[in-house]
Amino acid sequence: MKKLAIGLYAALTAALMAWGFYQAIYVAPDEQTMHEVQRIFYYHVPSAMTAFLFFAISLAGSIGFLALRRNHPVRALAADAWAVSGAEVGVVFCTVVLITGPLWGRRAWGIWWTWDARLTTTLVLWLLYVSYLLLRRFAAGPQMQTLAAVLGVFAALDVPIVYMSTRWWRTQHPAPVFGGGPDSGIKDPAMLHAFGWNIAAWLAWGLLILALRYRIERQHQQLIARQAQAALDEI
Amino acid sequence: MDQRAILDHQFTVAAYAVTWAIQLGYLVCLGLKWRAQKREAARPVRSPR
Repeated sequence: MKKLAIGLYAALTAALMAWGFYQAIYVAPDEQTMHEVQRIFYYHVPSAMTAFLFFAISLAGSIGFLALRRNHPVRALAADAWAVSGAEVGVVFCTVVLITGPLWGRRAWGIWWTWDARLTTTLVLWLLYVSYLLLRRFAAGPQMQTLAAVLGVFAALDVPIVYMSTRWWRTQHPAPVFGGGPDSGIKDPAMLHAFGWNIAAWLAWGLLILALRYRIERQHQQLIARQAQAALDEI
Repeated sequence: MDQRAILDHQFTVAAYAVTWAIQLGYLVCLGLKWRAQKREAARPVRSPR
């Protein structure tokens, strides 16, 4: 039953991805000033939104781990698994954002990169979460998860800064699609549909790989616990 | 198609291709990790020492 549900969800996700692609490439019209290169937006913006969501999941997991680690160690381990899974999948989506953005910028602005507030804070966000993952990969000892959780909380503080950067500072980056002022937003309904379908598709895809990553982390924790028990039995 | 339209098309294709390469590459990595862990779990447990 569980396998069937997973299979159905994966099939639905694949259908959404195909439909989102079709909408972005064949249905949405060319934008008047940027022409075809504007279609990068249908992958760039949903990837950024999904990355933000997963960094929020990582934050909740880190806070959960810090809150539960003394009194509820088993639940704390589950929270830690969510924290690392959210951070890792978030980094994957943030990498997509940092590559597709300059590809668009090269055609729209004539440059690959500028030290604009939105771009810089996004790069800092990516570096913070990469350092979080490196800490988890290379640090050892009983304090590693606590240190990672603290870093995870601080790294998440950059998410609202990235989001607000286009409002707080004068930036070259376009205004946000939603809530970015009177000139922001998508006016054409076909573009809005393509955008909406791609948000749904990337979110569904992201949740699928997040669930897989979480399962792997839980398995890893069980393996470590079994090895620790075996070591105790040898004494 | 003029030069500008060709370049626009190439950049759009590159952005879509890179996105898919990253996402599918990550999925393959997760699959390999999953398989390696399954094998490890099937083995008799030994202490890490």
